[in-house]
Amino acid sequence: MIFNSIKWRLLLWMAFLLTVILASLGVAICHIHLADQLRQFDDRLERQVATMSAALYVPAPTGDNTGGPADHNNAPPPDNQAEDGFQLPPDIERLFGTRNTNSYYFVLWLDGDVEAFKASANAPGDVTRPHTAVKDAGTRIRERGLYREAYHVTERGDCVLVGRTAVPEYDEAGRFARLVFLGGAGLLGLVLAAAWWLLVRALRPLEKITSAAMKISSGDLSQRINIPDTESELGRLAAVLNSTFARLETSFAQQKQFTSDASHELRTPISVLISEAQTTLARERTPQDYREALAASLDAAQKMRRLTESLLELARLDAGQETLHRDNINLASLVQDSVKFVRALAAEARVQIHCDLAEVQISCDASRIAQVITNLLTNAINYNYVNGEIRITTRREGGTAVLTVADTGQGIAPSAIPRVFERFFMADESRSAGNTGLGLSICKAIVEAHGGSISVTSSLGRGSAFTVRLPV
Amino acid sequence: MRILIVEDEPRLQRNLVKALREEGYAVDAAGDGEDGLFKAGSFNYDAIILDVMMPKMDGWEMLERLRKTKKTPVLMLTARDGHTDRVKGLDNGADDYLVKPFDLSELLARLRALIRRSTNQTSSKVEIRDVMLDTRARTATREGVPVILTAREFAILEYLAVHRGEVITRTELYEHLFDENDATFSNLLDVHIFSIRKKLGSEIIATRRGQGYCIE
Repeated sequence: MIFNSIKWRLLLWMAFLLTVILASLGVAICHIHLADQLRQFDDRLERQVATMSAALYVPAPTGDNTGGPADHNNAPPPDNQAEDGFQLPPDIERLFGTRNTNSYYFVLWLDGDVEAFKASANAPGDVTRPHTAVKDAGTRIRERGLYREAYHVTERGDCVLVGRTAVPEYDEAGRFARLVFLGGAGLLGLVLAAAWWLLVRALRPLEKITSAAMKISSGDLSQRINIPDTESELGRLAAVLNSTFARLETSFAQQKQFTSDASHELRTPISVLISEAQTTLARERTPQDYREALAASLDAAQKMRRLTESLLELARLDAGQETLHRDNINLASLVQDSVKFVRALAAEARVQIHCDLAEVQISCDASRIAQVITNLLTNAINYNYVNGEIRITTRREGGTAVLTVADTGQGIAPSAIPRVFERFFMADESRSAGNTGLGLSICKAIVEAHGGSISVTSSLGRGSAFTVRLPV
Repeated sequence: MRILIVEDEPRLQRNLVKALREEGYAVDAAGDGEDGLFKAGSFNYDAIILDVMMPKMDGWEMLERLRKTKKTPVLMLTARDGHTDRVKGLDNGADDYLVKPFDLSELLARLRALIRRSTNQTSSKVEIRDVMLDTRARTATREGVPVILTAREFAILEYLAVHRGEVITRTELYEHLFDENDATFSNLLDVHIFSIRKKLGSEIIATRRGQGYCIE
């Protein structure tokens, strides 16, 4: 599913978190804004109340205008002065005439009266006197539905109330909230778009890696990931993967080459066997013919045996299954045994073997190391000239036992030297009957299993020298 | 029919030569690609059996170089049975392909088919007047009655029959019937022709004086 991709999941999480943050921020801003609006409104109401109170209780200028509310402050109105005779200053009186329901309305209660002494024309009918004790003098605010009212109760018990509908403030807060919402949504969209762009850019190398890995897993091992920025995290990942892929490719190619070579080497003797038998059986033969056919078949079968044994040995050494039976062995005596073993072969080829052996004790699997020495000696004899020489030396260099087998034979071409330890590689290309092309590979595997190394120096036409180094 | 075998494994080469000679082919052998290319280039073989894995020059390279000058049918022998190898072989101009280890009878059948295709024959049976040649069983019948022919006689008859209507010079006949190891004497050919005419009727092979022989 598309929403399972990292890109989408990151984006959805980001959208969710951003929405929550922006929404809380928006609500807080709107709340603060509304509170501020109402506070300013309340301030105006309070100022109105103050003005009104001041106007009502300011001492009237001296003159005829006695009995006005001016002296109301100082002395209670005389009982004889009826309340309906109570006169308001004209500018205040005018305020009471306002009919506009959206502007301020005023209500005035005298003493402890519940009935309003005077209310402006636009005052809502349900305004009641605030239940405030006389002693709670001061200006207060009350909220009544959509109206907000400020009132002031004097010490005498008179009450002045100024109110107005708060609808314009609420409307203004609504407009502001819409603005905040639109702004927030726009911001969210912008941020998400930018995030998407960044995500796509950041994840593009990942897609390259995926597609390369997919091609590789479907068999195309030559695929590599091409990420120009090698310093970024993904670039480094790509570099690591590329080197892994390269090693995989090499290893696959080697494996393929080995299988192909092995199948070729095994099938040739089988072909000989089959065609020899089929040809011979096609018609009546003389006993001599049958003998020849059997000899050829035996030869082919023995070649197969050598090959299968060598292949099995290599496979075991490769898998690390070949356990080494280590003993403390004198390398010099091991060499002497091997030289005895190949003495007859050397005599037949008229090759002299010279030994220069220093005693070196090593911990090794004697039969395995003897196999290596015999193999090197056999090669040195087989690739030598008539009346050639072989010089075999052992010595100790620090913690290493060094064995050298040098011959005066054909030598190895410089181009072939790096490949002589490869499986099935044969430098002279003519496949002699006894040669499997695996001998040196097995030597190398055995020496490496002992923690040692094998190397060769050679000059064409003058001879080769194989050096084996084994830890003491 | 003269065949070239290019195979580096000496035992297999020797065995194939022996088997093909017993089938009545004239057979030459080469032990590596260079020798093979030289021989294939200097003579028009009726078919070449070519091993892939060889020292000096491998089968692919030899085939590629050979195809620049010759259209000789080639049967590739290889120990590799990978699909790509087979495709590569056929693409590079091999006419057929056989994987080692192979069955000798299959090799022979494929070789016969290869030669038939290259000479536009559709069947292993050839009818000449009242004579029927079976190139597979290497037998001949005249009016339904089996006639015993020697291997050489059959080979001459087969070569002329395959190139029916063409006048085949004595030299060409020699070249395709005797391999490099045969000591050949020209009058031997006359002896074989005489013997064939005696067994199958004198009109079966026409002599074009000064040119050669022909089956019409």
